Amino acid sequence: MMAVVYEFVWRMLHALLHLQRTILSWFRISIWNWNWRLWRRAVAAVLVPAVFGFQNHPHNNKKLVPGGGKKSCGRVRWKSDGKSLEKLPLHVGLLIAEEEPRYTDIANLVVWCMAVGISYVSVYDNQGIFRRNNSRLMDEILKQQQELLGLDSLKYSVEFLNKSNEKPEQQVLSCQATVKVLSPDDGKPSIVKAAQKFCQLVEHQQQRSTDLDVNMLDSLLRGTKGMPDPDLVMKFGTVDSTLGFLPWHIRLAEIISLPSHINIKYEDFFSALKCYAGCEQRLGK
Amino acid sequence: MSWIRKGELTLIERLSANILKAGPMPKHVAFIMDGNRRYARKLHVERQQGHTQGFDKLAETLRWCLNLEIREVTVYAFSIENFKRAKDEVDGLMELARQKFSRLLDEQEDLEKHGVCIRVLGDLTLLPLDIQKLIAQAVLATKNHNKCFLNVCFAYTSRHEITNAVKEAAWGVEQGLIKPSDVSEFLLDECLYTSNSPDPDLLIRTSGEVRLSDFLLWQTTYSCLVFQSILWPEYSFWNFCEAILQYQLNHHALQKARDLHAEARVLQQLEADRCCAAELLQQTGLGKPLDPQLRQEAVQKYTAEREGRVHSFLTVLQEKRDRFFTDLNKGSIASAKA
Repeated sequence: MMAVVYEFVWRMLHALLHLQRTILSWFRISIWNWNWRLWRRAVAAVLVPAVFGFQNHPHNNKKLVPGGGKKSCGRVRWKSDGKSLEKLPLHVGLLIAEEEPRYTDIANLVVWCMAVGISYVSVYDNQGIFRRNNSRLMDEILKQQQELLGLDSLKYSVEFLNKSNEKPEQQVLSCQATVKVLSPDDGKPSIVKAAQKFCQLVEHQQQRSTDLDVNMLDSLLRGTKGMPDPDLVMKFGTVDSTLGFLPWHIRLAEIISLPSHINIKYEDFFSALKCYAGCEQRLGK
Repeated sequence: MSWIRKGELTLIERLSANILKAGPMPKHVAFIMDGNRRYARKLHVERQQGHTQGFDKLAETLRWCLNLEIREVTVYAFSIENFKRAKDEVDGLMELARQKFSRLLDEQEDLEKHGVCIRVLGDLTLLPLDIQKLIAQAVLATKNHNKCFLNVCFAYTSRHEITNAVKEAAWGVEQGLIKPSDVSEFLLDECLYTSNSPDPDLLIRTSGEVRLSDFLLWQTTYSCLVFQSILWPEYSFWNFCEAILQYQLNHHALQKARDLHAEARVLQQLEADRCCAAELLQQTGLGKPLDPQLRQEAVQKYTAEREGRVHSFLTVLQEKRDRFFTDLNKGSIASAKA
């Protein structure tokens, strides 16, 4: 008898939480051109009792950049925004944990990263969708680069790193940002391949098993066109997991969650960067 | 038992627990118990006090896990990076470990009664020898208990663990037990310190930091990650329920992702076996048989042989690991008798 009661209460509880999530995402998508953050806070205050306020979203605890982020003065402002932060990540991983990716929004994120001065950007989803649609994503990024950075797009160039074609595709002479598309194959399967490589060296007596240390395995994994480890993983979507994203490389990465990449605004992207700038790494000490 | 606090849940805690248990519950929870030093600063007490309180909180949390029927817990007690701390702090932590492991050995009856299996994961050779011996005794004494499992990561980092797993595989190749192509995700899973545990369903990190800090990087690829801002010594039953609720909200999506990955893994292994079988046939001069039935049989034969090699290797590896603890234990028995 009691088991039935408990189950009923549990179902009610989860129904309420799902309802809250649905309403919030509906607000976000349908009234994006309003000052929805104000709405969201109001709605959240009504629907979410304090005990459920556990999401570590940047907009909950950091002040937002004052309004006026119009496209025309965007690129000047973006560069100075980047400089105004205490620290900027060297490599940002964009982890899209949502079912249907929107290429334009992802392209915007990549271009914003470049514009604020981030040197390496990787784009990941756990179904390998981006890997399969690599050229579509690249085209979208170039298009958004033109649109958002306008005349200045010639100053910013993008190098696309791809496993399938080793030669990087460069658009202009100077190289300011590197973009890599990743999939689950770059996670554990890559570690397995590196392990097999080392075992082959051992089999041919070119190495001993005891020769291996963390640095050696790290260089085997990095290869020749290696990027630095991500310092920041921006996770989009409501799934609370890294979903197989570069397990070896994210050992010290800050993981900042954003509710969705659909219609993502620059202000939300930048508040995630501010959150990152405020993180203190003690490195074990 | 000093490691598991005595006591029962209050009525309202029990009610909440029963409601939560109506949904999917994590079977294995991992904790990064962060915030002891900040807690000590907050209360204006010595750092060492912060760590001691942290241990008490662990004991309480283990009690909650038992109440919620969570049978396996892994905790990040001491990282290899933590050796970089000030000498007196490291010595203090080692002393705490000495006390707690010694206490554990005095409570063997209780441990047996509750069926608690203690495992210590990490590069134990980095620790003082007397602590290694205490750990060996605790691990051997509780080896066959199987009601609940506590994995303490001590002198541990995930990268060291993964590197060690690859080294073990390479050792297997050196010994002629396996071939390089036998190395797979499954094999590396079994070579990790956590080979006897399933992957954690839920990873909780306290004190507001939002990174993994080199903890179970391989094992938590599809775990629910919950970052809570409360400092570890202040962790409450309600914080824990919050985390479990988060796990329940993510359960379906994570299961789907995990299944997708498992399917991909099976296909990759099959493909690898096909390639290896084809190569073998080539080498034996039979070329590529036109009959798909023969090809299929060749692949099946190769798979069976590979699995046999891997199984023998893992048996030898387990014996090697057991010997490490029994040798340490022999050392302590000998010195006790002397």
